[in-house]
Amino acid sequence: MTSQTPVFEARSVSKSFGPVVALTDVSVSLYAGEVHSIIGENGAGKSTLMNLICGKLAPTSGQLYVDGQPVRFGTPKDAQAHGIAIAPQEINLVPNLTVAENIMLGAHAGNVAAIDWRRTRSEAARHLHQVDHTIDPSMRVRELSKAQQQLVQIARAAATEARILIFDEPTATLTYREEETLLAYIETLAQEGRSAFYISHRLDEVRRLSHRITALRDGAHVGELTPEQATREAMVTLMAGRPPKAGAQPIRDITTRETVLEVQGLSRDHEFEDVSFNLRKGEILGVSGLVGSGRTEMAKCIFGATKADKGGLTFRGEKTVFKSPLEAIQAGLIYLPEERKQEGIFPLLSIAENTALPTLERFGGLLHIRNREMIAEVEDLAKRMKAKFNSLTDPITSLSGGNQQKFIIARWLMRDAHVLIMDEPTRGIDVNAKFEIQAVLRKLTEERGLSIIVISSEMEELLDVADRILVMHEGRVKGVVDRAETTQEGLLQLAMT
Amino acid sequence: MERTMDTAEMTDTPNIRTRRKKTLVQRFWAWEASGVLVALAVLFTLLAFATDNFLSAYNVSVVMRQAAFVGLVALGQTLVLLVGGIDLSVGAAAGLSSIVGALALTQWGIHPYLVIPFTMAFGFFLGAVNGFFVAGLRLNPFIVTLATWEIFAGLTLVITKGYPIRPLGEQFQIFGKGEILGLPVPVVIFFATAIVLMWMLSQTRFGRNIFAVGGNRDAAILAGIRANRVEFLAFGLAGMLSALAGILFASRMDAGQPSVGEGWLMGAITAAILGGTSLRGGQGSIVGTVLGALLLAVLANGTVLMNVSGFWQRVIVGGVVLVAILVDLLRRRG
Repeated sequence: MTSQTPVFEARSVSKSFGPVVALTDVSVSLYAGEVHSIIGENGAGKSTLMNLICGKLAPTSGQLYVDGQPVRFGTPKDAQAHGIAIAPQEINLVPNLTVAENIMLGAHAGNVAAIDWRRTRSEAARHLHQVDHTIDPSMRVRELSKAQQQLVQIARAAATEARILIFDEPTATLTYREEETLLAYIETLAQEGRSAFYISHRLDEVRRLSHRITALRDGAHVGELTPEQATREAMVTLMAGRPPKAGAQPIRDITTRETVLEVQGLSRDHEFEDVSFNLRKGEILGVSGLVGSGRTEMAKCIFGATKADKGGLTFRGEKTVFKSPLEAIQAGLIYLPEERKQEGIFPLLSIAENTALPTLERFGGLLHIRNREMIAEVEDLAKRMKAKFNSLTDPITSLSGGNQQKFIIARWLMRDAHVLIMDEPTRGIDVNAKFEIQAVLRKLTEERGLSIIVISSEMEELLDVADRILVMHEGRVKGVVDRAETTQEGLLQLAMT
Repeated sequence: MERTMDTAEMTDTPNIRTRRKKTLVQRFWAWEASGVLVALAVLFTLLAFATDNFLSAYNVSVVMRQAAFVGLVALGQTLVLLVGGIDLSVGAAAGLSSIVGALALTQWGIHPYLVIPFTMAFGFFLGAVNGFFVAGLRLNPFIVTLATWEIFAGLTLVITKGYPIRPLGEQFQIFGKGEILGLPVPVVIFFATAIVLMWMLSQTRFGRNIFAVGGNRDAAILAGIRANRVEFLAFGLAGMLSALAGILFASRMDAGQPSVGEGWLMGAITAAILGGTSLRGGQGSIVGTVLGALLLAVLANGTVLMNVSGFWQRVIVGGVVLVAILVDLLRRRG
């Protein structure tokens, strides 16, 4: 493999945005039939590098080569002309168009005067079937789930017939089965002689797929591994610059504690049915299930964002149903949505304002907001949660994903919260920050008696942090198990019976 | 393990996320122009019974002609809205173009039959000015076209000093006053334009790219679509269609009047919105806009026929828009 010319090469590329250096002197290459993984923590420069390769950004210095020839990409279209396509991490589809049209976007079959719809549709279906068999190509993208949209996006990259494909975190939203299909598909691509850059936080996937693994840290190339060298420990050490912290939180006994929230027979048409469970004071309850299992819908319903058809709650000894999120928040039950960017943060506001927003009235003076007090309180919480930041008056977008998440949690600690429901709290957050957040959650349950429900599609995470795990499948509760008494296989089996 | 999962998925009750077959009624309501069609039908029936002359040939042609001028402008506005922009200068562009067209005819000796394409080209240029700032320099369309609105309207007054340019001559009046198969020429041009645009939006790459750019600009760029070119052309076409409406109106009046196009902006946006076009881009249809323009014309006509004071007309139009938005809200929640 090494004797031939790489199909793609980046030599000493750097990229800065004004004074901020995102990438320094990075060189990577890709051979025909190779899957080359790029690993690194958030902010390590992976996405910047991929954006240079797909033509979305231009390097500040350095040179790109395709088949040994120097190239310069002004736009993604130029990169596509050289056979490079990307399936980006963020969902980037046109919601009002059909699946088929999204896949063939900008590449409809036909001539200038008229599109050949039949061929456009059949080609779209062919590409889609390589990664998924359940999605109807005539549906509109806005009707699909997040995971399905991710698959459509991957099919679109494949549809370009590109020789070089970039997969940026393709499995972050996928469930076990979808992930299997996708990984198998990428393996087929490589066997056909096409090549791929692969980015993922899931290190077992990286090890399985890759022919080579390159690690980035703080915008610099810090090492290259063969799949044989790439133990979990070796990869994390390269990415973080230090060995990984311990994973699982110790097992504890919570059976004697009082119940703070009891859910009784909660149902909502087409979403979930007859959900019952209880949550104890200071407990972390994990909710496991595939996409479409009704876990998020259930959480939103408890929170009062949607109306239950049947059933109710007992919250701190009182029978109730929250009619709106405001009621739930005032009672001390908080829901943190999965889509941090869309539903969780206010990108134009500072870290302090983002944190204190729901409690601003506490800092209201006669004519102004008592900023100094507000910042002092946010700072105190930030320290306890070990959040990293320059200044609390910086915009929240200056933080990494993990740190943003800490401040969003802090937001609700500023008022008296009793129950926190977190939907995918560590999705897209790097390994060490993930462990830190888990430790913070544990600490909160112990110090403040907070009860937490963690919804996650990563069973490993639940097995690290939850006291008990509730398994949902197709809208129903399949069982609740103690963490000490189960394994990943056990959870899967429970879901399927 | 993997095998068990597969079989479990297949033998289980159908997944709650799978799509249910929609009935014809559901599909009708899912169509964005369904509301305006129902409103038009109701109003039509009402007026047909309540008045003697609503369905007379003369009145129908009056209504359609009224719809045609604002309708042409609304078609251009629809393209701009679909691509995620807005064009506040359409009325002023219609006015300025019609004046320039009138000058071309009376002062520069351009042949009457060539005046229409000449004016449309000039209108495209005016739209292209908007397109240059919005698509080329990525400035906010609301602000850019607010400025060009003033500029176009101001230039009209500078050129005419407030006086109409007339007469335009016998030969030229055929465009505004003539008939083809019993239909006024502007109406024929309006419907023909609508059909061409429907084809363009549904069957050509440029048309689909308009939806893609308006629906998700980043995704369109990543798919290799030149988003700023698509936006630029949408603004150009909007200017062109405004100019067409302006010069047809001048032909009908036999005069290039500085006041042409005043009031067309609101009519154009209203028609598009009534027809289900979203102000956020990426959603809407030509059929909807045509129906919207017809609805506005029927409303105006109906108030006259029912002897409602002309002053009430705007109140009624505003009310209809609010009702349309409420219906749309119910439709999407439904």
